[in-house]
Amino acid sequence: MSSHIKSILFAVVLSIVCGSLLTLASTGLREYQLKNIALDKQKNILKSIGLIEDKKAPSLKTVSGLYADYIKEMWIDFQGKLVPKEKKGENDLPVYFYVKQEKIQAYIIPVHSRGLWGKIAGYLAIKNDGTTISGFTVYSHQETPGLGGEIEKDWFQKNFAGKKILDDKGNFVSITIAKGAVQGRIPTSKHKNFVDGISGASMTGKFLSAGLKRTLIEYEPLSERFRKNEIK
Amino acid sequence: MENLISIFLNSVFVGNILLAYFLGMCSFLAISSNMEPAVGLGFAVTFVLSITTPINWLVYHYLLAPGALTWVGLPSVDLSFLKFIIFIAVIAGIVQALEMIIDRYSPPLYMALGVFLPLIAVNCAILGTSLFMVERDYNFMESVVFGASSGMGWMLAIVTMAGIRKKLRYADVPEGLEGFGISMIVTGLMAMAFMLFSGITL
Amino acid sequence: MKITRTKAFKVFSNPIWERNPISGQILGICSALAVTVQLKTAIVMGLALTFVLACSNLSISLMRKLIPRNIRIIVELTIIATLVIFADQVLKAFLYDISKQLSVFVGLIITNCIILARAETYALGNPPLLSLLDGIGNGLGYSQILITVAVLRELLGAGKLFGFQVIPNFFYAAGYENMGFMVLAPGAFIAIGFIVWLQKTVSKE
Repeated sequence: MSSHIKSILFAVVLSIVCGSLLTLASTGLREYQLKNIALDKQKNILKSIGLIEDKKAPSLKTVSGLYADYIKEMWIDFQGKLVPKEKKGENDLPVYFYVKQEKIQAYIIPVHSRGLWGKIAGYLAIKNDGTTISGFTVYSHQETPGLGGEIEKDWFQKNFAGKKILDDKGNFVSITIAKGAVQGRIPTSKHKNFVDGISGASMTGKFLSAGLKRTLIEYEPLSERFRKNEIK
Repeated sequence: MENLISIFLNSVFVGNILLAYFLGMCSFLAISSNMEPAVGLGFAVTFVLSITTPINWLVYHYLLAPGALTWVGLPSVDLSFLKFIIFIAVIAGIVQALEMIIDRYSPPLYMALGVFLPLIAVNCAILGTSLFMVERDYNFMESVVFGASSGMGWMLAIVTMAGIRKKLRYADVPEGLEGFGISMIVTGLMAMAFMLFSGITL
Repeated sequence: MKITRTKAFKVFSNPIWERNPISGQILGICSALAVTVQLKTAIVMGLALTFVLACSNLSISLMRKLIPRNIRIIVELTIIATLVIFADQVLKAFLYDISKQLSVFVGLIITNCIILARAETYALGNPPLLSLLDGIGNGLGYSQILITVAVLRELLGAGKLFGFQVIPNFFYAAGYENMGFMVLAPGAFIAIGFIVWLQKTVSKE
C-alpha cells in the first residue's frame, strides 16, 4: 500500500513542479513571442508593397520602423466606410493603408483562400486608383513543393504587379491565374486581368483565383470609393 | 465536401505522413520485415489515429486554445503551450483504454491488434498528426477525415514496404548497404512514386 | 591515464561515431529528416534535441533512486515533455523564423525514440555526470547526421549553405543545375541511405 501512496505522491509533486516551471517559462516568454508574431505579420504586409524583399533578410528594427512610418491599420464596414480599430463591428474587414507623404499610395487586403491541399494566406496590395495591383505575397500554404508550392516564389508573385482588377469598360472582373503562360492563351485585350499560371498546378491556380475573386468582391465597396477618389 | 476529399487524397498520397513528413519511421522500419504484423500494425495505427485526432481536436478547442475556456468563464486563459504534454497524455490514455476494452470484448481482435497497441503510444505519427491538425487549423470534420486518412496512408506505406522487403530477401545487396541502408533507399524510391500522385486533380 | 582512455570520454564520444544513435541503433530518425532541407534548421533542431536529451538524462539520473518503478515511463515522458515545451517556447521567443520552419517537429522530439531509450537504458542505472555526458554525446551524434544530411541537401538542392549562395554563378552558366530532387522528401531518404552505407564501410576497415 505504501508504495502506491509513494507513487501517487511522486506523480503529484512532479506534476506541480513541471507545471509551475512551464507556466513560469510561458508567461515570461509570452511578450517576446507576441512581438515576434506581430513582426512577422508586419513583414508580410511590407513585402506585399515591395518595401522589403525576401532575399535580404531585414533587421527587426527596419521592419517595425518601416511599418510604423508607412502603414496604417484600419477597418471597413460593408459600405466601404472606414472604421477606427476601437469601433470595429463584428463583420468589419481589416485593411492596411500604405501612406507616404501624407497620401494613401496603396491599400493592402488580407487574402484567405483554399488551395488544392489546404489553406493559402497572403496579402494583396492595390494602388490608390482602386484598379491596379501593386503587389501580392503568400505567407502560408500547403501546396505541393515544386508545383503549386511555386505560389510562394518571387517569379509568380511578381506577375501580379501592374495587373488590373477591372476590364476595359471599367467593370469588375477580378484577377485570374491562367492555366500556364498568359501569352498565346488569353486574348491580348484581357492580358491585364490575367497572370501567368504554374504549369502542372492548374488546380492551385483555380482555387487561388476563386479566393482572390471572393476577397476582392468583399472589398469592392472600398475599391469603388478609391476609384471615385473619395479616399485620399 | 470537396475540401474533405482533397484532405483525404493529400494525406493518403502526396502528403503521406510517413513518406513526406517522415513520421512513424521507428516502427515502420522495425515491423515492415514481415507482411502479417505490418498489416496488423497498419490497422492499429489507422484505428488509433481515427480516434485520437478528433479527441485531441476537442481537447484543444475546448481546453487549450487561446480563449477556449470561455465556456467556464475564463476567456483570457491561453494554455496552448501545454498541447504537447496533454496530447501525449490523451494518446497514451486512449491507447491504454482501447487495449483493455478490446481485450475484454473481442479477444480475436485483441490477438490481431492488441499486441501493437503499446507500441503505438510513442509512435510519432500519432502525435504528429494531432500537431499538424492544430497547425493547419482544421475544423472538427476535417480533423476526423485527416486522422483516418493519415492512418490509411501510413498503412499503405508499411504494407507496400513489407511487400518490397519480402522480394528484397532474394536480392544481392552490396555489403554495408544491407538492412538499414537499403531500407532507406527503398523508402526513398517509394516516396518518389507517391509524389507522382500530386498530379491528381479533383 | 590519457583523457581518451577514461570512461567518461568513452561515454561521451562513442555515440558520436561508432555507436551513432541514428544509423547504428536505428533510432529516432522520425523527426530527423523533415528539418534537413536547410542547414540552419537542422543545426537548431540538433541543438534543441541535445539540450532535451542532456537535461532529461541528468534529471532522471538524479532522481533514479526516487522514481517509483511502476510509473517510471510516465515520469520520464513528463520530464521529457516539459523540457520539449520549454525548448519550443524559447525558440518561439528568440528564433521565431526558424521555429516556424521547424513547425511541429520540435514537439515531436517527445516521441523521439532516442530520448526515452537513453533514459530507460542509461540514466536509470548510472550516476548523473556520466548520464549527462551520455546525453550530450548522443545528442551530438544525432546532430552530426542531421547536419551531414542537411549539408548535402542544401548544397545539392539549392546551391546554398546557411542560405548563402555557395556554388558560383559560372557553374550555372556552364549548364549546372540545382537538383530539385534533394529538396523533396525522397532525397532525404536516399541521402541517409548512402550516408549509412559510407559509415558502415569506413568503420569496418
